[in-house]
Amino acid sequence: MQDDPRIEPLLRVENLSKRYASPVLREINLEIMPGEVHALMGANGAGKSTLARILCGLTIPDGGRLFRSGKSFAPQNKRDAQTAGVIMVMQELNLLSTLSVAENIFLDRLPQRAGFICQQQLTRMAVEALQRVGLSDLLPSTIVGTLGMGVRQLLEIAAALARRCQVLILDEPTAALTQREVDLLFSNIRRLQADGVGILYISHRMDEIRSIASRVSVLRDGACVAQYPTGDVNPNQFIRDMSGGESTFVLPRVKKNKFRSTVLTVEKLCVGVRIREVSFSLRSGEILGLAGLVGSGRTLTLRALFGAVRATSGSVTVGEGASGLFTHPSQAVAAGMGMVPEDRRHDALLLSQSVRVNATLSTLPIHSKRGWLNVHSERHSTNRLCDRLKIACKTPEQTVDELSGGNQQKVSLGRWLERSCEVLLCDEPTRGVDAASKASIHNLLRNVAAEGTGVLVVSSELSELFSLCDRILVMSNGRMTGEFTADNWSEEVIHAAAFKGLSTAHRESVT
Amino acid sequence: MRTILFAMRVLAFCLIASGCAPKEVDHNAPVTGKTPCIALIMKSLANEFFSTMAEGARKHHNDNKKTYDLVVNGMKNETDFSEQVTLIEQMVARSVQSIVIAPADSKAIIPALKRARDAGVLVINIDNRLDPNVLIEVGLTIPFVGPDNWEGAKKAGEAVARMLTKGDSVAIVEGIPTAMNSQERCRGLRDAMNDAGMNIVSSQSGQWEMEKANSIAAAMLSEYPSLKAILCANDSMALGVVAAVAASGRSADVKVTGFDNTSAVGEMIVNGRIVATVDQHGDQLAVHGIEIALSVLAGNSTPKDTTTAVDLVMRKDAR
Amino acid sequence: MKILKDHGDTVGILAVWILLVLLFGVLSDHFLSANTLTTLAGRIPALTVIAAGMTLVLIVGGIDLSVGSVLGLSSAVLGLLMVDWKVPLVISAPIAIVVGMLAGTVNGLFTVGLRIPSFLVTLGMLEICRGAAYLVTRSQTKYIGASVEPLASMLPGTTFPISFFLSVGVVVGLQVLLEKTILGRHIVAIGTNEHAVRLAGIDPRPAKILVFLVCGTCAGVGSLFHCARLGSADPNAGSGMELAAIAAVVIGGTSLLGGRGSVIKTFIGVLIVATLEAGLAQIGASEPLKRVVTGAVIIAAVSVDVFRRRCIGENV
Repeated sequence: MQDDPRIEPLLRVENLSKRYASPVLREINLEIMPGEVHALMGANGAGKSTLARILCGLTIPDGGRLFRSGKSFAPQNKRDAQTAGVIMVMQELNLLSTLSVAENIFLDRLPQRAGFICQQQLTRMAVEALQRVGLSDLLPSTIVGTLGMGVRQLLEIAAALARRCQVLILDEPTAALTQREVDLLFSNIRRLQADGVGILYISHRMDEIRSIASRVSVLRDGACVAQYPTGDVNPNQFIRDMSGGESTFVLPRVKKNKFRSTVLTVEKLCVGVRIREVSFSLRSGEILGLAGLVGSGRTLTLRALFGAVRATSGSVTVGEGASGLFTHPSQAVAAGMGMVPEDRRHDALLLSQSVRVNATLSTLPIHSKRGWLNVHSERHSTNRLCDRLKIACKTPEQTVDELSGGNQQKVSLGRWLERSCEVLLCDEPTRGVDAASKASIHNLLRNVAAEGTGVLVVSSELSELFSLCDRILVMSNGRMTGEFTADNWSEEVIHAAAFKGLSTAHRESVT
Repeated sequence: MRTILFAMRVLAFCLIASGCAPKEVDHNAPVTGKTPCIALIMKSLANEFFSTMAEGARKHHNDNKKTYDLVVNGMKNETDFSEQVTLIEQMVARSVQSIVIAPADSKAIIPALKRARDAGVLVINIDNRLDPNVLIEVGLTIPFVGPDNWEGAKKAGEAVARMLTKGDSVAIVEGIPTAMNSQERCRGLRDAMNDAGMNIVSSQSGQWEMEKANSIAAAMLSEYPSLKAILCANDSMALGVVAAVAASGRSADVKVTGFDNTSAVGEMIVNGRIVATVDQHGDQLAVHGIEIALSVLAGNSTPKDTTTAVDLVMRKDAR
Repeated sequence: MKILKDHGDTVGILAVWILLVLLFGVLSDHFLSANTLTTLAGRIPALTVIAAGMTLVLIVGGIDLSVGSVLGLSSAVLGLLMVDWKVPLVISAPIAIVVGMLAGTVNGLFTVGLRIPSFLVTLGMLEICRGAAYLVTRSQTKYIGASVEPLASMLPGTTFPISFFLSVGVVVGLQVLLEKTILGRHIVAIGTNEHAVRLAGIDPRPAKILVFLVCGTCAGVGSLFHCARLGSADPNAGSGMELAAIAAVVIGGTSLLGGRGSVIKTFIGVLIVATLEAGLAQIGASEPLKRVVTGAVIIAAVSVDVFRRRCIGENV
């Protein structure tokens, strides 16, 4: 149907080019038809985000033309694009954490009377918008800062849907979502499709693309290298196109580690009412997965045992150390823990600083003598790290902000490799990361475990946990509701456990 | 022992600075009995000149406790007249009999003083004269008790002119340009210089501050190698200028004058690094104002302007 | 060429200073002279050390509004000790420095311990120290005289005062601290993203307290230079100096948001501020004009820096 020449595409991209220091987009051609979900794939740095930014007016192209339903379209800013009905949901969230849910959704067009916000109308509009993304239980007056990442992602989508929107650009929309939320999002996308909205869907996840998109364009180094209906190809085809022929995606193989001593024991850990009596242990060389819905308390558990959040009771024992609770992350690190946080830009990286400064942040004592730094030793170690993790940076002095998401994540992870941690906590280690980086991060975690570290991985992607972990714990509504090994796990049993705690509880207590 | 003494001194000063004896703690209580209450409103008590003035007034009050009650108020920032307006209003609300005020601004304070007068409060103007034109405009006569800044500055100027030869280069360091007393002093200095045929090569503001005056003087000394004298509108600035002159190694050639006769310049006058300053008897200024207020309140006299003495201070009669 | 690449911004701001010097050289007959340079070197030491301390505070993501008042209090204490109690300089100078250090430590403890924004804590400290300075001196300027002036006398064999060399020493010392030590790295990292530093297993609190301590100490040292130059201790000393210091630091390219800055460039910023003041006085500019020009130069210098960063694609 989309090939029917009589139907004008909603959005047509002709020979679009953009260059900064080097070309990032080369003569891209693309069409989005009414009711079509057009997927855009490519490794990080292939130009997907730049293309999306041009379409929604955040970046001005150097060459080529855009047509919106046949009319020339050259958005100079976000508002131009919005007026033309082109709206993007960003990968990095743009919500203001001190404002309420309702205010965030309607921030630039708050209903007002003589300059005063009309609260009732705002609430009514917000409830409608939230219902559309299945968050009907969320109070519009909730402050966004108190919500988890998954809910925030849905809010962004709700905000976009609340506008008169003809072309919706979704950049990695499912990165922070659980399966249930993904299903919800997809049903929304299908509804929009039925309304004739065109969707540009940027994602790394092949199964998602195959289930939702009708056509896929593959970008590599700024050029569009392939375009085909999604039904026609297998995953290896995508990988080949994205990486230039050679497949870097190796199907994971679970290697049985020999577990030695217990390196982490958590007993009856509680954080208010949000985490209730969580107990488990982790052995040397083991990779332990922590599954559950977004908001089930996985991240909070990690933070509480790392000392980043005050636990109310319980005890944590690292290796041979004393049992107790850490009140500051520095104590946890001193005891041999490391943590790779979920939100790398906010919680892990010093964005405006160099790769070197970021990579050596936790290991400065190694690179110094009596408080005096040895920059040479830092550079040496950073270079070694870049080689080992295949971090694509020009020099160790390049700022981390300039790296792609996957490389940033590797830096955040690499920080802990120079010191031999007994326990490494990873919160969504591959969120928003391209397939190649993902595979290398997985390999890395396996190596770290093989060297004797106990690794605890929180992930919303079950396939990731299945391929990576020796054992999976499931949390639901702040409690531990299941423990599985490769012998008895399946998506079904894990989902069942993840919903266990919710059967009687209310949804609010989860978010 | 020293520290204890010091601590007691600080404590005592705090008590005095809070402005009232214990019986005056309740600020809102109406003043009863026959003793009139006089409010002294100053500029910044952080300025030595005004703290001396306040101390003089307190001493006078201590000696005449039976005759009147005294409330002393100062402000934080010399140029912030709005704070003074607030003080005037507070004092009127406290129903004092008289306000003796050193205005922070010659004009802007007048409406508030008019309201005070309308409320039946006697107002005496000390130190810095209220603008006569504005006073006429609002139909107010407020007696002024204070020194003639012009005359004092002219005396200092004439004294230094006698040490120079006709046609010598001199420079003036002004106070805050909008302040009436700075303008008067500079006019006095200029008149003295012009009468003696001196050449004024530069006249810039040191903002009444030592550090600013030091920078200005350093620049003047670089720019005018033939400079023979720098005349300052107050002593604080004169101290800064002396340091600049010393730094340029021209102490022998360049004469410096000040104004106010503060304690810090005493030694400077003795060793000749400042050749002249002017004593306007700041400690007695408020006392004069209070005495006139008391005499008018007692019905002994009618309010009229009074000029207080200004004396030239030079080496032979330095303290 | 490599120097230009690595230190392009330093060269840029140095060029601004040289341009300013040349400009005043054209406008005034006597500006371009050894004498002017000596005068300049004499007047900047106090501002230099204070701005150097302030640089660290801004890099760590805070602000210290109290430095001017702390300088006033330290001066007052020095005056009290030397004039009223006849304590020699070698004893009273360290005491004056300790006064500054204590004020800075209190700033740091309250900012970090109670998590009150440093803006508010130091605003309070500004008032406390100024008030204390008036109390200590009973609002009187203390004339100290020759006993304090050795600090401002010329270093033998040069035409620059000792205080100038000491202040340059402080600048170099703090720059080395910033670049070459773990503490310095922590300071920069905390200013960039304190949250991330915490999660990287570093306790940011000691470093933050230390930065405020250093800044207060700098104000104490500044008070010595200030008193030495003027030969007197003035309780009004340093009023408004916090703004001059912040201006110099910002002209030097340090970010008010933290995480980026250099003490060396702050020093050039101080030179620019001081040269401007000296030059305008030397050409006899009127007071209003001085203020307008000074303000314009601050905005211009910062704009040039921001523009240059944008050009090379840095995030500002």
